[in-house]
This record gives sequence, C-alpha cells and structure tokens, in this order.
Amino acid sequence: MEAGALIWVLLGLPTLFAGLCLALRSTRQVLILVSVGGAAWGMLAGVAACTFLATAPAAAARGWLHVDALSAYHLLLLGLVQGASSVYAWGHFQGDAANEGLTAGQARRFGGLWFGAAAAMSLVLFSNNLGLMWVGIEATTLLTAFLICLHVSPLSLEATWKYLVVCSVGVAFAFVGTLLVGASAQPLGLDPSEMLLWTRLRASAPHLAAGSMKLAFLFMLVGYGTKAGLAPLHSWLPDAHSQAPAPVSALFSGFMLNAAFYCILRVLPLAEAATGDRGWARDLLIGFGVVSILVAAAFIAFQRDGKRLLAYSSVEHLGVIALGVGLGGVGTVAALWHTLNHAIAKPLAFFAVGRLGKLYGTRDLGALAGAARRSVCWGAGFCGGLLALMGVAPFAIFMSEFQVLRAAAAARTFGVMALFLIGTAIVFVCVLRHVIRTAWGEEISAAAPEPVRMVDVGLVGGALLCLLVLGVWLPAPLANALSAAAHVIGGQP
Amino acid sequence: MSQGAGVEAVLALLVITDLLFLGSSRLRSCVRVVAMQGIMVSVLPLLLHGGEGVARAWVLTAGGVAVKGMVFPLVLLRVLREAGVRREVEPFVGHTLSVLVGASALVFALWVEMQLHLPATAAGPLAVPVGLATMLIGLFVIVSRRKAITQVLGYIVVENGIYAVGVALVGGVPLLVELGVLLDVFVAVFIMSIAAYHISREFDHIDVDQLDRLRG
Repeated sequence: MEAGALIWVLLGLPTLFAGLCLALRSTRQVLILVSVGGAAWGMLAGVAACTFLATAPAAAARGWLHVDALSAYHLLLLGLVQGASSVYAWGHFQGDAANEGLTAGQARRFGGLWFGAAAAMSLVLFSNNLGLMWVGIEATTLLTAFLICLHVSPLSLEATWKYLVVCSVGVAFAFVGTLLVGASAQPLGLDPSEMLLWTRLRASAPHLAAGSMKLAFLFMLVGYGTKAGLAPLHSWLPDAHSQAPAPVSALFSGFMLNAAFYCILRVLPLAEAATGDRGWARDLLIGFGVVSILVAAAFIAFQRDGKRLLAYSSVEHLGVIALGVGLGGVGTVAALWHTLNHAIAKPLAFFAVGRLGKLYGTRDLGALAGAARRSVCWGAGFCGGLLALMGVAPFAIFMSEFQVLRAAAAARTFGVMALFLIGTAIVFVCVLRHVIRTAWGEEISAAAPEPVRMVDVGLVGGALLCLLVLGVWLPAPLANALSAAAHVIGGQP
Repeated sequence: MSQGAGVEAVLALLVITDLLFLGSSRLRSCVRVVAMQGIMVSVLPLLLHGGEGVARAWVLTAGGVAVKGMVFPLVLLRVLREAGVRREVEPFVGHTLSVLVGASALVFALWVEMQLHLPATAAGPLAVPVGLATMLIGLFVIVSRRKAITQVLGYIVVENGIYAVGVALVGGVPLLVELGVLLDVFVAVFIMSIAAYHISREFDHIDVDQLDRLRG
C-alpha cells in the first residue's frame, strides 16, 4: 500500500472503532471489539512502522502529515502498548461492577475514549505541523480524562480534576511555545501555511531567530514536560496513574508520556541548530532528567501503594530518557532504546498489579505479600516487571541505562553520573524489598485462587521474554531503526 | 476609527475585564465578564487583518464569538445552577489584593516585553504585554481560588491571553490549526464543566482545595 494511504488508514481505523463502540449494546460486545480491534490495530501499526522504517520518509495531506524514522519508531511503541493493553483489558474488566466490572454505559464510554486516544496519539506522531501536533496532545488529555474516572468515586474524580487542570494549563504553555516558533521563523519569509511545518523549519533551522527560539523551547519544554511527567512538573501523574483502571494506567505510562516527550524531541534539533549547536537546549534536558530521577527515587523510597510506586517509576524512567537525549551521541540512541524497554516493562507491571489488586481487593504492597505463590502467572509478571524496571541485569532496561551511563562518562559529566547512580541505587534497594516480600513473604491475607488463562500467560511470558532477549541481543533492524531515529534528533553520532 | 485605535481599544477592554474578573466575588458576573473578554479577543483578527484574508478573519471571529461568548457562559451558568453556588467565598488571596496582583502582572508583562526584543508586529507594541498579563492573571486565579468553576474561568482567561499573544506575534497561523485549537478549548471547557458537575454531585461542593486525599 502507498505510504500516504497507510497514514490515513492508521488514523481512520481507531476513529471508526470508537464510533462503533458507541453504537454497541452490551458490555461483552464492546470488550470484544476493544480487545480484537485494539490488537488488530496495534499489529497494523507495528507492520506499518516497519514499512515506514524500511522506506524513505513519507508525507500526506500536502505535507501536513509526515512520517520519518523518529515517528515510525514511536508508532511501533504505540502499536505495542495499545495492542497489549487492549488484549489485557478483556480480562481486567471481567466480573461484577463492585470489582472493576463495567456496565454497558461505562463500557461504551471506555471503548469510545480508548480508540479516540489511539487516534489522537497517532495524530501527534504523524503531524508535521507543530500546531496540529499541539492539537493532538491536547486531544489526548481531553479524551483520556474520563478514562481515569471510569468508575466514579471521590478519589478518581479528584485525580481527574487535577489531571485536567494541570495538563490543560501546562499544555497551553506549549502552545505559546508553538507560536514563538512561528515568530522565530519570520526571518525565513515562509508562506503562512508552511510556517509551522517541521520539515521546512528543520531544513533551515540555523537561520531561525535565536532569541525567540530559545523562549519557544523553554515554553515547550515546560508545557510538554508537564504532560510527560518530568519533575517538578509531575504533580498530576501519580494521582492519575493510581486511580485509573490498570489498562489505562498502562497506556498512560507506556506511551502517553512518551507522546508528549516526542514533541520535545521534535523541537530539540530546531532549538539546538538555531542557538548554534552549543548544547544549550540539551543541558536543560539533562537538568530536568536528573531532577526527575532524584525526585522519583525519594518518593519511591516511602511508597506503599503499588500503582503509585509504578507511577513514580515512570517519572524516573522519563528522567533517564531525558538525560540520555540531553547527553547526545550514544545517549540519544540509548534513550530511544530505553523508551522501548520501558514501554514493555511498565505495562507488564501495571497489568500485574491491576490483576493482583483485583484479586486481593487492595493495592497496598504490604498486603500483597506472598502473592506470587497465590497467582503464579501475575505474581511472576509483577516480580519480573519490577526487577526489570529497577534495572536488574540481564533485562534490557539494565543495558539501556548502562549505555546512558556510558554516554555520561563519554561527555565527562561526572557530577551527573554520580547523581544518576545515586537515584537508581535508591530505587534498586527500595523496590527490591517489595519484590522479595511479594515472592517469598509470609501471606497476610488469603485470596481466592484464579484460573490461569492462556492469554495472561502469553502477555506475561511474551513481555518477559522480550525484555530478556533485548537485554542480551539487539537485532540488526532494531539497531538500524534506533540510529535512524537518533539521527533525526541530531547531535553528534 | 483607524485600525490601530480599534486594536488599542480592544486591548484596553481586555485589561479592564481582567481586573473586573479579579475583583468580583459573584460567580455569575465572573462568567459574564469572561464571556465579554472572549468576544473582545475574538474580534482582534478582524481588526488586524480586515484587508487581506477577510474570509479567514470572519471565520475565526464568528467561531470565537460563538464558542467563547455564547456557549461557554451557557454551559458554565448551567453548572452553577446545578451545583447551587453563588459566590467565591474566602479566596486564598482577597479580592482587593487580587486586583493589585493583576496590576502588578501588567507591569511585569510590560517589563518582560521590553527585555525580549520580539519582532515588531501589526498589532502594535501593546498586544503582547497585554496578552501576557492576561495569561498571568488567569494562572493566578487558577491557583488562588477555591471553586472548580473559577478554575475553569481562569483556564479560559489563560487561553484568551494566549490567543491575543498569538494574533499579535504571528498573525497568520494556518486556519486549520486555529480551528483545531478553538475546538480543543471548547471541548476542554465542556469536559471540565462535566467534571465539576460530577464533583458537586459526589461531594456536595465544588471546593477544589478540599480535594486533597491523594498524597505522597
């Protein structure tokens, strides 16, 4: 199929599914459509991403939509996370309304917003126009807000409200940044309809007005950084992640944060080229990255709620990604690889804690002691996911974090290196405690045993296998994709 | 009336509505003031680009007036009725002091504008600082007031400020993007109103400072 048409199919299909979900009558029908349609769309996105990676950059809609290696790589991640979460959602929403089951109305709302969010996130990845990209990010906020309070309760409403206000206002700042990019492009004398096109700006980035571009990058870093959960702008994140149903948390953590960070990655080369490639913008990213790692480590140390722990872990990993990109060179490749590893490990951990939480009726990590013996499948998923997330070798996250460390050493930023090591060491020790307790701890509350289903085993086994294999062997096509995507972001190879 | 005088009159009205909004404790009049302000900023493209691209300016103005001047007040007044609240009682910063903060925001914005050396625009030297001050005032309202509805109003004021800055700075953002932004703002306010309505049902109040059970 022609690349342009493929873009339209990828955008149109989830929109169509969203409409279909609203028209279905029963919970069961909606959940079937979500799991089958979501998995099919995820696979299609994966195949499309591989096609885009193998061919030259493609465009559609008179250059407004555009795919290059960076967006294709992120599309692969989106397909992975959305597909896996859709499959998981089927099992998670089984049961009665008291135990996270769905009424028909709630199911319709879930299906519509779920596919709507997929369409909005794809729009972010495909849009070549920075304004359209902003519209996509804001749309993801609005579409996902009511996924948090799918089960209306005081706590979930509180989380929804904070998410809406903090992210909307934060992302509004990113729009000021977008306008300032337009102002900095005035020396180029572009036609207004082409003024915000990324490809045009990138081609003549050294001629952008440096002052306006600096200001634009600051606004966009703060705006999109709020949505990406970089500390100290992360205040909405633990609340939203802990109150949302597990499939939604997995999507938030596995990809939505990265979608916002992707926007920063798009502006970074513009800002760097306009300010003369002196690392002005990259240093800001290093700062945000280190602060995120340390702040997250401090909160993880005293966390008892399983989902909040995972939420803070997302802040930490986004920090690692920002740090890697900020360091440049090997760091950029490592950061992109880390994004993939995190997108596999974090949804796995959220799936497991969601199902264990349903089984035990609580997400308190103390009460989950010994859960790995009660539910072998999800217990293994939980412990494996946490071990991977805290950076145990030979899981892939260890390897990508090690590469970031190497980049820090190569850049001779030893202070940054030390702070990074301190942060990850704190996380390692504190999370290890929970893993040991869940695997071998004495049981406090007994839960009814659950039948093991093949789908669950497939999800857990597949994710753990991927993390292990990627940790010891990086396939050549993936390595090529990583370096091509890193090339788009720029910086010394 | 010349083009410049028209723009300056609108900018002056923007400042006045900012201060009125800060000084008023009755939520219904706050909604009306913000609606007025929405209409004011929506007229800006028409005043600035009356000559070329008239159709585009008319579309933007009509869309802005319809959404900000008519739909928002209708939705918000309805939520106020359903939730049964009338006044912003005991804001964290008193109303008189808030007006002073607003005036300082304007001074600060003028100072920032002088430091920035932004390219000269058709809207004259005042549009960017007034837009910036409006943004700051919206932010201040979001953090200093208790009622969920006032936070929504603050968000609309931030958006109005951004709109003024945008019209002044670049003028010609593609129409499709402008309309997308307008749609997003519309949906955002709509969704926030629904959330505020749910909050009033679940808690019997819409005091967001009492939403503090999620911690750590």
